[in-house]
Amino acid sequence: MPNRPSGFRNPWLQLGVSVVCVFVSELLLKRGATEVAAPDHALSWTGINGLASPLVWWAILLIIASFITWLYVLRYIPLSLAYPLSRVVDILVPLGCWIFLGELISTLRWCGIALVILGLALMAQPVAKMEERL
Amino acid sequence: MTFLAFVFILVSLVTFVAAQLVLKRAMEFSTTHSMRNSYFISRIALGVFLMTISFFLTLGLLQRFDLSYLYPFQGLSVIFITVLAAVVLKEKVSVRLTIGALLITAGIVLVSLS
Repeated sequence: MPNRPSGFRNPWLQLGVSVVCVFVSELLLKRGATEVAAPDHALSWTGINGLASPLVWWAILLIIASFITWLYVLRYIPLSLAYPLSRVVDILVPLGCWIFLGELISTLRWCGIALVILGLALMAQPVAKMEERL
Repeated sequence: MTFLAFVFILVSLVTFVAAQLVLKRAMEFSTTHSMRNSYFISRIALGVFLMTISFFLTLGLLQRFDLSYLYPFQGLSVIFITVLAAVVLKEKVSVRLTIGALLITAGIVLVSLS
């Protein structure tokens, strides 16, 4: 990792920002898409009518932000570490749907969430090792 | 699942993984070179292009299959990217990191199956 910047430019923090951007954008997309849902509309299958919702536009901005922060992360953190860590979003989204959108989480889904957390916990050591090398 | 659908799923996965590898290479290059460099710009453009192909293929697949059916394939990207980062980018991948990546993949598959 070439001379890592600190503070807000810390790549680990930016990885977190990227993940949060994706997470929030998914929830906004779902809210926005249902808000303006018009299944009878001729172009509804393209999802293009979703653009009528301001929430969808906020989501698009967040997706762009997540892409830029992700490029920044790639500059400093090995892909083999950054990518698996970024998939924490796959458990944040169901958890967010449960908390904010009132969707249910089945037992099997809780088991999956537990496995991802276990996998992330195992990654803590390689992350610490990389920090040591600095 | 038809053979054609399988091909589309495979291509969308391969283009996504390839995009990540290309973008990583480009960003690594940018640490030692200027960003106003034709090599850097062409690689970023290639990465974005590959991601766009993957995005539209996924969109097309989503119109024909359930998200819960398609998502486990996306979970596989964790394994592919970890392995290819080790092989292509010569990153050091420890046993612990590999097991972590496998657990995350298994978790994603379970979450999408439920």
